[in-house]
Amino acid sequence: MSNEKKLTEQESLQLITTMIQKAKASYHERGISAILWGTVVAVASLVTYLRREFDFNVPFDPFLLVLAAIIPQIFISIKQGRENKVTKFEDTAINAVWLVYGISIFALIFYQNVVPSATIELCRQDGWQLMIHYLDGSKPDEPLHPFVPSVYSLFLLLYAFPTLVTGIAKKYAPMTVGAIITYILFIASCYTASKYDMLFGTIAALVCWLIPGIILRRKYLKQKSSNV
Amino acid sequence: MFKELDPILHSQLRLAVVSLLIGVKEAEFTFIKEKTNATAGNLSVQIQKLKDVGYIEVEKQFKDNYPLTTCSITKKGVEAFEKYVKALQSYLDAGKK
Repeated sequence: MSNEKKLTEQESLQLITTMIQKAKASYHERGISAILWGTVVAVASLVTYLRREFDFNVPFDPFLLVLAAIIPQIFISIKQGRENKVTKFEDTAINAVWLVYGISIFALIFYQNVVPSATIELCRQDGWQLMIHYLDGSKPDEPLHPFVPSVYSLFLLLYAFPTLVTGIAKKYAPMTVGAIITYILFIASCYTASKYDMLFGTIAALVCWLIPGIILRRKYLKQKSSNV
Repeated sequence: MFKELDPILHSQLRLAVVSLLIGVKEAEFTFIKEKTNATAGNLSVQIQKLKDVGYIEVEKQFKDNYPLTTCSITKKGVEAFEKYVKALQSYLDAGKK
């Protein structure tokens, strides 16, 4: 492109349109992160559901997989940071939303693990404890170990939030649809046994991240091959 | 009365650079070079002209031991671009009458 060529008004407008389109078309999410998180959360939720449904044991908590996925995610983020030659305005905000989401997930895990024991201790300090009382009198009363009821519903709520923000900000329909489905699953999970919440978690991971991630990946690879 | 077209923007390569930057937060020099098909030397000169009038900001740093130049449009650049597009529209509207 030369500099000194005199442009007509039409040529100027045409040039502006072309360059704006080039900037838009040049940018594609690679979809790797979405595929990674979609896979690990889906697998962890599904294994947990199967474990509860069919009463079998695995030697470790399947959700440790989710924790382990942080390591490849760090490498993916570094690699993408190196490869990205252009940054869009919404990227900073969306990255911040996902960071806050990560912190919130860890905060919720902390809450889930700490609140039951803390409740027992607080009750004990007040001189009482929670008890199970069988209405039909079939068994004697016994101490109740407190738990957070339907806690996975809260995870579903968290899964939907950054996904919907990303879907709306990036105008990416698969993520928006995935987030809406997850909000519906959240409502359903409030009425079902907690083991089914895990099954809902599997569906949420598929529709929020894995499927949108695969679609993104295919688009990215298609664009990459067309640029060669 | 026609508005005068900004001579800084009314040049093929400079207009291309500003049009690329208008929709993004920042872009690397190599990205701009690739999208405009300009030579590195010519692009550097035009980027410097845009920087001198305050339409873009240029940040030079090192990444993995390689020099990295990043460009972003300024508020002044956005205003100038909007003014330029409005002026273009007035020319085109007049041509239709």
